[in-house]
Amino acid sequence: MGEFLGYRRPDGRVGVRNRLLVLSVGGLTGPAARRIASSLRDAACVVLPYEAGLIGDDKAIHDRAALGLAGHSNAGAVLLLGDNPKVLEQMAGQIAPLGKAHAAISMDGCGNDVFEMVARATRTGARLIREMSRLRRSTVPLSALTVGLECGRSDPSSGLVANPLLGRVADALVDAGGTAILGETLEWLGAEHLLATRARTPEVAADIVASVERREAAAVAAGVDLLGTNPTPTNIAAGLSTIEEKSLGSAAKSGSRRIEGLLGYAEAPRGPGLWVMDAPAYAPESLTGFVAAGAQLILFTTGVGNSYVSALSPTVKVSANPETCARLDGQLDFDAHAGFLGQEAPKALAERLLATLTDVAGGTPTWGEILGEGDEVVSRFGAAL
Amino acid sequence: MVFDAIALSVGDNVATVLRAVSAGDVLRVKRGDTIIELAAAESVPMGHKLALGDIASGAPIVKYGTTIGEARIAIARGAHVHVHNLRSRRAAQRAD
Repeated sequence: MGEFLGYRRPDGRVGVRNRLLVLSVGGLTGPAARRIASSLRDAACVVLPYEAGLIGDDKAIHDRAALGLAGHSNAGAVLLLGDNPKVLEQMAGQIAPLGKAHAAISMDGCGNDVFEMVARATRTGARLIREMSRLRRSTVPLSALTVGLECGRSDPSSGLVANPLLGRVADALVDAGGTAILGETLEWLGAEHLLATRARTPEVAADIVASVERREAAAVAAGVDLLGTNPTPTNIAAGLSTIEEKSLGSAAKSGSRRIEGLLGYAEAPRGPGLWVMDAPAYAPESLTGFVAAGAQLILFTTGVGNSYVSALSPTVKVSANPETCARLDGQLDFDAHAGFLGQEAPKALAERLLATLTDVAGGTPTWGEILGEGDEVVSRFGAAL
Repeated sequence: MVFDAIALSVGDNVATVLRAVSAGDVLRVKRGDTIIELAAAESVPMGHKLALGDIASGAPIVKYGTTIGEARIAIARGAHVHVHNLRSRRAAQRAD
């Protein structure tokens, strides 16, 4: 423990995978990108469906997320596809300083001929994979890791066992000099006073409380009753009654360490330690916020089961519900039900999960990777032109 | 230590049942570091909550040592506590 085998990137960051990222910048080339990626080994496909017509903060956040994905340390090489050559050129210019192999192919550059695009991009992608595959794993410290903390389709076993378990692992990672990110702002509602007491400065505490109040006000202004929205009908059937109850269980994922600061969506932490990201709670958007911010791994708890994983960052699925662990054997990466039954002490569970995390960091695939699950979804923050 | 329900903080007035419970079942409830016995007043599904004492209408419901909402109506000791008798105090849409 304390180290794992990772890919050292030229910019000093560390990847836990060496994938060719096939990134469609805009939705017009999305279907072609998926065909190209499906015919190449070690390719991960990410389609950003929106591009032209984005404005203001929505565009700024989208572009930050796109760049975060394009430069992600789990990608050893990047193949950019899109309709707008200027956008691709700009993005290629921004990732060039990272020193990783990349190429950009636009619709214009292919005479708007999709057969031509697929043929050229597949050849180019194959060459990029060959080039990136020369890199070998080497021993790196745990401090190189940034881990996103997520829960989805939660039940009371999440708040009692699985989320506090993630909290202990987050503490261990932070103590080792690593980085952890808690997101899902709405799931701080009712727990924000507890998070605020752990803030590094009074300003950070105020940021945390204000971000919760903004979400709460947005729900009230939209006439949304949180009961049935968050908690969801699935949460309620499982026994969670209010957003406060869900939040107190959810926020336990953050452990007990100092909160360094509040990040915007897809914003990279400005140093090691525990950070909170003001972001939507829905897993596809939330995970991409973490990944675009630089998380190489995700720890993801579930009560009743949740198959969603990131396309770029291996997502370790954890459950403490005995029935779920039995039913979804072969889909959950970590079985914590012994904690729910009082048969395994919290400390032992945490050591076992940290060992699983470093094992996955070193190359053991998650069930999500084996099953070919995985996607990235960038949140929207306004209307496009 | 074998127990059927758990309250993580001693100040909690509800406990989470770790197995499906039927009316009349006498439960061993781990409350902080001690075990108390309590009869379930009605059936409670696994993972749902049960009142550890009588709770007045409007009184806070406490889990994890923190308020998770308030009683919509008076809740008797041993009763199932869920959305029918517990409501959030946040993002309220109600007229009352």
